[in-house]
Amino acid sequence: MDQQETILADGAPLSDRKATAQYNALPRRDFLKLSLVGLAATVAPAVVWKKSRPAEDEEVESPHSWAMVIDQEKCVGCGHCTMACRARNDVSPDMAWNRIFEDEDGGSFLSIPCMHCEDAPCVHVCPVGATFHRSDGIIMMDYDRCIGCRYCEMACPYSARVFNWEAFTGPNPAVPTWGMPDVPRRPRGVVEKCSFCVERIDRGLQNGLMPGEDQAATPACVVACPTGARLFGDLNDPESQVNKALARYPSFRLRESLGTGPRVYYLPPRDRDKKNEEEACS
Amino acid sequence: MKRLGNYLFPTWIIILVVFLVSGLGAAGIVFSRGLIVTNLSDLVPWGLWITIDLSAVGLGAGAFLLSAAVYLLGIKRLAPVARTAVFIGFIAYTMACMTLLLDIGRPDRFWHAVAFWNIHSPLWEVTMCVTIYLTVLSLEVLPLLGRAPWFSRRLPAVAAHLQHIHHYAPLLAVVGLVLSLLHQSSLGATYAVLKARPIVYRPSLAVLFIASAFVAGPALTVLASKVSALITPRARVKDALLDPISRFVGWALVAYVYLRFWDMLAMSYTYEPGRSEGLRVLTTGVLSFNFWIGEVLLGAIVPMIILLSSRLRRQPHLHLLALICIVGGLVAYRWDTNLVSQLVVFNYLPQDLAPRYTGYVPSLVETLAGAGVVAYGFLMFTLGVRYLNIVDHHESVGHAPQSTTLAAGAAD
Repeated sequence: MDQQETILADGAPLSDRKATAQYNALPRRDFLKLSLVGLAATVAPAVVWKKSRPAEDEEVESPHSWAMVIDQEKCVGCGHCTMACRARNDVSPDMAWNRIFEDEDGGSFLSIPCMHCEDAPCVHVCPVGATFHRSDGIIMMDYDRCIGCRYCEMACPYSARVFNWEAFTGPNPAVPTWGMPDVPRRPRGVVEKCSFCVERIDRGLQNGLMPGEDQAATPACVVACPTGARLFGDLNDPESQVNKALARYPSFRLRESLGTGPRVYYLPPRDRDKKNEEEACS
Repeated sequence: MKRLGNYLFPTWIIILVVFLVSGLGAAGIVFSRGLIVTNLSDLVPWGLWITIDLSAVGLGAGAFLLSAAVYLLGIKRLAPVARTAVFIGFIAYTMACMTLLLDIGRPDRFWHAVAFWNIHSPLWEVTMCVTIYLTVLSLEVLPLLGRAPWFSRRLPAVAAHLQHIHHYAPLLAVVGLVLSLLHQSSLGATYAVLKARPIVYRPSLAVLFIASAFVAGPALTVLASKVSALITPRARVKDALLDPISRFVGWALVAYVYLRFWDMLAMSYTYEPGRSEGLRVLTTGVLSFNFWIGEVLLGAIVPMIILLSSRLRRQPHLHLLALICIVGGLVAYRWDTNLVSQLVVFNYLPQDLAPRYTGYVPSLVETLAGAGVVAYGFLMFTLGVRYLNIVDHHESVGHAPQSTTLAAGAAD
């Protein structure tokens, strides 16, 4: 305080009495109080919101661990999976939650949905926690929280995420040929992705159906696949179709070296000789 | 000359306002039609605006460095330079916020980053730090408004309050230093945590972002001061204050170049899918001109030689050239770092080692909106020089606003 007064004595231009009075009248304590109030006003809504939302780890631990198996031997690249997905999830024709690539050598196809990684990079980087991990392994999107920064698109090793660059208005050409939408359409400006048709899984379980076994509880792409190249099921259930397939055939996952732990397994095209052998055995 | 000077200011302002208005128009299109009007895509989701954001934050680093020099290291004579730097920092961070607002798909939810926390995300850290640091910068800038003669004459009481905030300058300098070091490095870490993109997935990026900010922040402060002094008598500089800063910038460049090349060369030791292709894009591909000329030759080597040789540095035009090169070099570095990982498109099959490449050129709307943000920066600085007397080394600045009369004399 001493310092202030000395300076004021030196400071010629502030000789205005009113100004001087005001100048002295701002105590440090008030300033600190104001700062504290400001800080509280910033932090309080966040704290209140945190409290009002149950944290993800408070969720009841699911007994299931969902996974998908895609058999490259059977996949013919017809795209029925993508179309059924577009209809059921009401995805714009300009976007795809499930993309299909033809292998460079030709002959085999690679169909890529969201990998629902065990250690998902997108979940780590989302600044607002709009994408999160469910205890049954599904990576979810909270479309009401997403701010559309697209950091998750930068982080996803599989380019599984698509952004709503414009509003999707008008009829969906995939509806009703490929099915009726199960979920509401997303607004412009948020990122979306494959959800393993989580609403079908949850609704199915509530009605006593088993995802992967009962069609109504199974992801639309798996149901739509005409060659049976896609399997879905519970990794915790030794009798599930995915576990049986993984036990029988060699499998791989995409960019496995990154340690993301994808939940989508691929069965590579099998050698013709080996297949003949298999057929002979059975 | 005098007559030309009379036209210079209005012409310059008109040019800036034209860019600003066209930028506002472009922003209007972006907000009404969505990001479809940009050339961004799901393969290249971050482009020009993110580059402007990263560059502005890097170039605004002079604010915390010079504040720390004055109030923590006690180099009091640099106080007038710190004032310029803080003002530039304030402009830079508001520019960053503007481009971010343009860039996010849901600008109406910008506050979500403060309300919903994901403490694992570098971008969350950046957002929090930038938000708080912008508040700190505002508190550092408000006394500048308070000391402006035209302001204190009309609202003496408010002016006195505003000037009083300056007493907390040392505290603000500490907070600013912490926040700045945190978010300057986190901006690098924003890319460095992306394991999906091997070319940027390395810890050195956080260090390099700080190092380049150490170089370019003070460089812009000196550049802006010198250029203003060349153009208008309202800005008065002392070379005795600026010269040591330029020399510091020169040595900081040496450190930066060493770090950068160690980092780059280490990446070439082995073949790694994605990383080696990214390196190729940078050194021989579409970004190679930007890299070799923009970043290395003009951005580092040339200014390093000029600023470290006292004979070359003493030549005003060479000195200015060096500073301009540094600023350009930082923008080139941020542009390259942002794009290089996105231009390499991964193939997903484990046996397939042939990544593909994509391209990105900003659309007209994107460019106009970006130019509008930059024009806002120039306009703010111009007005600051003219009305807030922010480049004036002859005015003594301690804690006291002693010489407002002197400044008023200069303004009249």
